[in-house]
Amino acid sequence: MKHHTRAALPATVLLLLAIASGCSAPAGDTLARDWRLTVNGTTEKVITLQEVRALPSVTGHGYCVSTTGARFGPYTCRGVDLRDIAALAGGIGPGQQAWVSAPDGYLWVFDADQLDGKDFVTFDENLKEIPSPPLRIILMYEQNGKPLSYDDGGPARIAIVSEQPGVITEGSAWVKWVDRIEIREG
Amino acid sequence: MVLAGTSFFSGCQSPAPVTLKIIAAGSLLYPFAEAEQEFEASHQGVDVQVEGHGSIQVIRQVTDLHRTADVLAVADESLVPDLMYRPMEGSDRNFTDGYTPFATNEMVIAYTEKSRYHEEITHENWPDILARPDVRVGFSNPMLDAAGYRSLMVLQLAEEEYGDPGLFERVISDHFPSTVRVRETGGTTVISLPEIMRPSDDHVVIRDGSIYLISLLEAGGIDYAIEYRSVAEAMNLSYLPLPASINLGSAEYADQYRKVTVELGFPRFSTLGRERVGRPVVYAMTIPANAPNPGLAREFIDYVANESLAGRPGWPAPLARGVSR
Repeated sequence: MKHHTRAALPATVLLLLAIASGCSAPAGDTLARDWRLTVNGTTEKVITLQEVRALPSVTGHGYCVSTTGARFGPYTCRGVDLRDIAALAGGIGPGQQAWVSAPDGYLWVFDADQLDGKDFVTFDENLKEIPSPPLRIILMYEQNGKPLSYDDGGPARIAIVSEQPGVITEGSAWVKWVDRIEIREG
Repeated sequence: MVLAGTSFFSGCQSPAPVTLKIIAAGSLLYPFAEAEQEFEASHQGVDVQVEGHGSIQVIRQVTDLHRTADVLAVADESLVPDLMYRPMEGSDRNFTDGYTPFATNEMVIAYTEKSRYHEEITHENWPDILARPDVRVGFSNPMLDAAGYRSLMVLQLAEEEYGDPGLFERVISDHFPSTVRVRETGGTTVISLPEIMRPSDDHVVIRDGSIYLISLLEAGGIDYAIEYRSVAEAMNLSYLPLPASINLGSAEYADQYRKVTVELGFPRFSTLGRERVGRPVVYAMTIPANAPNPGLAREFIDYVANESLAGRPGWPAPLARGVSR
C-alpha cells in the first residue's frame, strides 16, 4: 500500500502540472467529436469525422520526408481520396485546384493532375529518386490501424499513398489538422 | 521540479542530463552538427538536440505549433521580428524581444565534374551556359526554402549587372507554361510565381530542399544548382562565386537587392504574406521567452557566434563582431 502511494505521487504531480500548464493536445475522442471539415466548391458542405469515415475508404502505404531529410513513417494509411471529398462540393475539374488548409495557418495547393496522383517526386528509403508508382492523395484518419493522433495531425491530415511499400514523398504536402478544402480555378 | 521529485523517489544518484533543444534552418545543419559535438564536450551533462526545418517552419514550431525550444536559428533575420515580436497566447510576454545576427551567406552556382560545360564556365559566360538548351539548372522550391526565392532574385539582378535583359526569361520563365511572370512596378521588379512550381521542360528542376538538389547534382541529374556558398563548401562541391551586387551577400548592396521582389503563388503560412523582398542574407538566433534553459541557450548562441567569427569551412561567413538586435 505504501509502495502504491509513493508511485502514485509523482504521477499526480505530473497530472496537476499538465493541467496547470494548459497541456494543449486534446483527447482523441473530443478531437474527433468536435472536428468539422468545410469543403467549398460550387457548393459548400460541412461534414463530421463520422461522415468522412462513411465515405469509400482507401488504404495504402505512406512515407514522407521533410525538406531537411527527416523521414516520417512508413505508415499504413487509411482515409478518403481527396477527389471524393471534393465531389461533396461539386468536384474538381481540369485546371482547378484544391486549397487545403488547417487552423495552425498552414496551406498547401494541389492541382487536378496531382489529385490524379501525377507529378510527385518520389524517393526510395535511401532518398534516391525513383520513378513514381501510381499515387493517391487521401484525407487520412487512421494510421497503422489506429485513429490518427493529434501529434500526428489528427483527426485528419493529408497523406500521399501508394500500393507499393517504401515509396517516400515530399512531406510539405502532408498537411496536418486539415479543416478546410477549397476548390478554386487555377 | 518534476525531475527532482522523480529522482528522489527512484533514488537516482547522478543528475539527469539537460536537453538543449535547438531548431535550425537547413543550411545551418552542418555547422550546428559540429557545434553540437563541441558544446557537449565542454558542457558535461548537456545533450544538444538539433532539429532542421525551413526558416519559417523553425519559428512556427514555437509560435504556431506550441512546441518548446531553447534556441531558434534562421536564415533570414527579418523573420524574427516579423513572426515573434508579438505576445504569446495567454501571456503579455512576446515570443521574443531580440535576436543575435551572427553570419551571412551568398548565393553561388554549384557544379561538379559531371556538369556540362563546367570546364568553360566563367564569371563572364555563366548566364549563357545556364541558358543552353542541353543544360539542366536546379534550385529549391521558393515556397519552401529561402534559397529558392533567393536563386530567382540572383538571376533577375544579373540582368542589370550583365546588361542582359532576357537572362531571366531564357534561364527560368521560358521553361514554365506562362506561369512565371515578371513585371516592373515603381522601380522594383516583381517575379510572380504560380501556385504549383511545375516546369514545362527539363531545363529547370525544382526540389523541396538543398539536400535533394545536391544529390541530383552529384548524380548528374542536374548540371548546376544555385545554392548557398556554405552549403557548396560543406558538400565539397565546385562553385562559381557571383558578383557582390547580385549574390545577396553584401550589406553594401542592400539597396540594389531591394529592387527585386518574389511574389509566391500562395501564402503557405497565414502569419506571413506572399511577398519576399530582396535583402542581404543574415542568419539570426533567438531564445524564445518560454525556453526551458535560457542560460544554456545564451551560452550556445555565444559559442556559435564566436565560432562563426573564425570563418570555419562549411559555416556561413562571419558578420561584424558584437552585433545584437
